[in-house]
Amino acid sequence: MIIEMREFTRVEGNGKAEIVIEDGEVKDVRLQIIEGPRFFELLTLGRHYYDVPDLEARICAICYLSHSVASVIGIERAFGVEVPEEITLLRELGLIGEFLESHSLHLYLLVAPDVFGYPDAIRMATKHGELVKEGLALKAFGNRLRVVVGGREIHGINVKPGGFGRYPTVEELEEIERESEALLRLARRAVRLFAQLDPYGAKAKHFVATDGYLWGEKLISDEPGEFHYTERIEERSLVYSFAKQSRYKGEAFFVGALPRLLLKSEMLTPTARRLFEEHREKLETGYVSYNNLAQAIELVYSLERANEIAKTLLDRGIEGENVPVEPREGEGIGYVEAPRGLLIHHYRIDNSGNIAYSNIITPTALNHAMIEASLLKEARELYGEVDEGRMIGRLEETVRAFDPCISCSVHLVKL
Amino acid sequence: MMDKLKLGVFELTDCGGCALNILFLYEKLFDLLEFYEITEFHMATSLSEGNHYDVALVTGTVSTQRDLNLLKEARNHSEYLIALGTCATHGSVQGSVELPIREKLKAVYGDGGDPMRALDSKPVVEYVAVDFALPGCPYDKEEVYQVLMDIAKGIEPVRKDYPVCLECKLNEYECVLVKRGLPCLGPITYGGCKAVCVRSGLGCIGCRGPLPGEVNPASEYEILKSLGYDDEYIIRKFKTFAGWEP
Ligand code: SF4
Ligand code: SF4
Repeated sequence: MIIEMREFTRVEGNGKAEIVIEDGEVKDVRLQIIEGPRFFELLTLGRHYYDVPDLEARICAICYLSHSVASVIGIERAFGVEVPEEITLLRELGLIGEFLESHSLHLYLLVAPDVFGYPDAIRMATKHGELVKEGLALKAFGNRLRVVVGGREIHGINVKPGGFGRYPTVEELEEIERESEALLRLARRAVRLFAQLDPYGAKAKHFVATDGYLWGEKLISDEPGEFHYTERIEERSLVYSFAKQSRYKGEAFFVGALPRLLLKSEMLTPTARRLFEEHREKLETGYVSYNNLAQAIELVYSLERANEIAKTLLDRGIEGENVPVEPREGEGIGYVEAPRGLLIHHYRIDNSGNIAYSNIITPTALNHAMIEASLLKEARELYGEVDEGRMIGRLEETVRAFDPCISCSVHLVKL
Repeated sequence: MMDKLKLGVFELTDCGGCALNILFLYEKLFDLLEFYEITEFHMATSLSEGNHYDVALVTGTVSTQRDLNLLKEARNHSEYLIALGTCATHGSVQGSVELPIREKLKAVYGDGGDPMRALDSKPVVEYVAVDFALPGCPYDKEEVYQVLMDIAKGIEPVRKDYPVCLECKLNEYECVLVKRGLPCLGPITYGGCKAVCVRSGLGCIGCRGPLPGEVNPASEYEILKSLGYDDEYIIRKFKTFAGWEP
């Protein structure tokens, strides 16, 4: 017998799951990404490098800047271009905006209704209007950063190989400095709220992240050593889903806010670090549902870091100089932490600057096996114990904890 | 008080941006909710109670059999259907990958399965009649607000009829095409975005699709050629969002 979950709600994109029951027991769970394939690597193949980050942005609206930045870094590495600190700080500011926008969307609008027992945040707002407003304020500030750095709230084209179309003004940076400080109080409240949730889903055994907090040259995991993705991560196609599944040394693994905190807590800002220590024991159990709490702590990190960056840039002043980019034959990988976890853009570029090979692996594809493992564990515990409706409700919450981004996951290609 | 209009948001295959942009309306979303009740919007709510919609917003391309079924359901059960965003109106980026679907699937997934019956990505407007088409990748959120408010007040929303160029002039942005020789599709692209990319000193990449009517793609083509861009580059640029043949 197969229990079909209907399409997931309050997640980005179109997905569902099937629970396979045999002899009265849960035998298997299949996560089906039913969003149509989007063929991004084919789209960028043969195209001039300069246009590619803007196209890759369209992979996902919630994290478009992560895609543009990963793309830009991959391209710059292929050409051997180095950019000065001013540019890296601004990119970081943009990615922080994306963390704020994406995490607050997830926590306040998609997860909080589960906590308070509502079908959505709009209906929740009648009783918990303050909370919804706080979430929207954080989200709007995140979007403000995306406008300043990225050029628009969604799919801006301001992030370019070698720099930016436009650099922020002093007034914009001052506003960022002020706002980030003012909003910190709200983010700390979010940590208190999400720390109360009971654990559910599976416990992750393996974690993978970039070696810097928001991007890196290499990857790290719960095991010693730095590595490139091709050394430990393997992808395969599934017959029942448009997303491929990745494994770390053959096993399911986890990317996202919780893995970042567990692997990189020493890189956090002061308050975020304190909050991490306060909840360390819980987080270290590795329950995937603590990803929600980890995201709340990252809201605090993001605001503190945005404040630091704005201060630094105001102190030293903005030069607004782009680095010249000369195309040459080469290969480069951009590793970025998207809000949902590790994002990989890998390119080979020919000597006229056109893309000859591209491989993109998104966080949701990397987490695919871990989501299935969590659903399986949860279904085994609940099947026969609670009625089917409640079981399915809990399974949906388990999926939601990963904050999956399904649109992202459906265009993986090896050519 | 009058009954609220029933609003459904249907997301086919896309990046989620056109649906997300509705949530980015913030307080204005609450203004809209004075007139509308959202009865289907799976990114935002677990409720799904509609079988009739006064207004249906459909985002994305038809890329699977599931998308097509959902689109037909939205059309059959709605009074006023809006194709929202360049995916829905012109196919946007995923619609511009030209290989036949079999070959695309093989290139990406090998000989594996085709679980949901993939179709070549096509805009919504190729399958059903729509009552209004609002392009943009994504559209400007003020626009969707205006359109929904107009409908709520019984006014037929108006389509803009000017290119991005005009918005540069209104905002006094320096012309990047003439002054800096950047490949800018502003002269032939459907305006309404406040020329936000030119504000960043960058050329318009045509994300809102072509302005119908009087624009002159041939002359744009000539300008880009005279700036030294080769045919293949120009053609691909033209095709990216709207499968546009120069
Ligand atoms: S039109 Fe652009 S923003 Fe809208 S759904 Fe399609 S790809 Fe996303
Ligand atoms: S300027 Fe062009 S590319 Fe930019 S938003 Fe407007 S239509 Fe889209």
